[in-house]
Amino acid sequence: MALLEVNGISKQFGGLVAVNKLSLSLEAGEVLGLIGPNGAGKTTAFNMISGYYKPDGGEVIFDGKTITNLRSDQICKLGLTRTFQVVKPFPQLSVLANVMVGAYNRTNKRQDAHDISMEILEFLDMADIHAMTAGSLSVAHRKRLEVAKALATNPKVVLLDEAMAGLRPTETDEMIGLIRQISERGIGLLLVEHVMKVIMSLADQIVVIHHGEKLAEGTPREIVTNKVVIDAYLGEEKVDVAGR
Amino acid sequence: MKKELRERFTEGSIFSQWMREIFFDWDRTQLFICFVLLLLLGLTPLLIKSTYYLGIIILAVIYAFIGVSWNIVAGFSGQLLIAHIIFLALGAYSTIVLFNYFLISPWIGILISGLIAAAAGAVIAFITLRYGLKMDYFGLFTIALMVALRTLFRKWDYVGGAIGMWFRLTNPSLDKMIFENKPPYLYIAIGLVVIALLVQYRIYRSKIGSYLLAIREDEDAASAVGVNTSLYKALAVIISAAMAGVGGGFYIMYVTFIEPPQVFNLGMNVEIAMAGPIIGGLGSLAGPLVGALLNKPFAEIVRGFLAGGRSGVSLIVYGSFLILTVLFMPRGVTGVLHDIYSRLLNRFSKKELGD
Repeated sequence: MALLEVNGISKQFGGLVAVNKLSLSLEAGEVLGLIGPNGAGKTTAFNMISGYYKPDGGEVIFDGKTITNLRSDQICKLGLTRTFQVVKPFPQLSVLANVMVGAYNRTNKRQDAHDISMEILEFLDMADIHAMTAGSLSVAHRKRLEVAKALATNPKVVLLDEAMAGLRPTETDEMIGLIRQISERGIGLLLVEHVMKVIMSLADQIVVIHHGEKLAEGTPREIVTNKVVIDAYLGEEKVDVAGR
Repeated sequence: MKKELRERFTEGSIFSQWMREIFFDWDRTQLFICFVLLLLLGLTPLLIKSTYYLGIIILAVIYAFIGVSWNIVAGFSGQLLIAHIIFLALGAYSTIVLFNYFLISPWIGILISGLIAAAAGAVIAFITLRYGLKMDYFGLFTIALMVALRTLFRKWDYVGGAIGMWFRLTNPSLDKMIFENKPPYLYIAIGLVVIALLVQYRIYRSKIGSYLLAIREDEDAASAVGVNTSLYKALAVIISAAMAGVGGGFYIMYVTFIEPPQVFNLGMNVEIAMAGPIIGGLGSLAGPLVGALLNKPFAEIVRGFLAGGRSGVSLIVYGSFLILTVLFMPRGVTGVLHDIYSRLLNRFSKKELGD
């Protein structure tokens, strides 16, 4: 059984079906890309997997346990955490204090939490700005701080919700490098992303969703040549670029 | 840069090492400032003989204690617990009832009061979390509860009803916490504040503190990194309530009389619990004490000079004072002190490191 197994989860808001019987699975160290047009239900799916919404139907199994009805903090304790599309730093706290909140998952001691956090900040190349308040960081650093907070909790799986949105090309390249390193540590990653270049270069598998339903699934190469996906999402021009 | 600087000072006498441990750490510097202030306050009975002025100082110190308790729930966890005075009132009533009817010494009585207030805090936390009352709704809930309790205590003859209740005074004795002069009350109050500041510091620098601040900053983000937000929000309310209960118990030992409109009172609530931390710097370690030492004397002076004139003038002046502080010092006195501290530390490190 895969590390993360999502079996037919659905969510309805009023009459609108946001996600309909979505299934996916993720192994340790695998990168799974979740793509689709705006409003396709990607973030809703994230919210259900990470415990922010209760699914109307279906189940989420993580590491052999059913987590469908657990709170997000309980899910995090089991080893599944997420970042937010609209970044959510703790703005008045220092960068270090931000990461330490996550590190307290592993230890109750302040000194240990401090050391763990500094190690992670060094990995993300943010150690020199650990004393800055999070509210004063640039967009690129805020995005990285989200990743740092998530890593501090010692996760087995991280859901990254548009970790690249709003980044400049060079910053995007750096972030791709970081994500690859994280994946090499054996952490499973579920990636929601609009930047096709990112998805194509990172993902092992891609799931395309449209109107809340799974449209296609496959390797990046299979996806860019899939006629249905091209019609619904990528468009002709994109294929020329991505297909190279 | 700070770390490099610290390493330079690892040598030297024990005293200078000790100074290094304090002054390269803003949290400890704040604690140090507080202890110096408390030491100075402890010396005031030597200089000030007027019982009126000593009385103001004692109340200011008691307010600081209540302020610390409110700071934990409002400043750390960011919950808008407006009618914090509920816990003070429950603590005060408990202590006086325990002594008058059961002859339990106030020393033990104020501890029991703390437990009773904590239980009330737990009930409030449970109800508000169960029904998802947050922020302003949470604040309004506490105000409504305070008004309800005022009516209830007015009708409740056992605790004196609308007439109120006097502490049954006997001859002065230490074990009944009754003293002839003011200074012993001052020393006990200072002792309580020392304990409160140490508790506050311990919380701030631990997992609990880290979690409370995270909840204040962003609840969703906190729960994404494993914070059980309901549990820790409740914990903040309970700790804060327990401290306010103890404070209320001692407060009533000092003023010796209690009646519902005096303690279930929003104006009093602002003066005793909220003004200090806000003036001093909500969420900071030194804020509640520094704020209370400015707030109480100012409120008293305004009342003393202006209450004789048209009614309400003193309240207008006091209210304007609070508004101006919030407007021009949103992070309070401690915020201003922190800016100065950062600048000094920067200049000092530049000089030392020849940068």
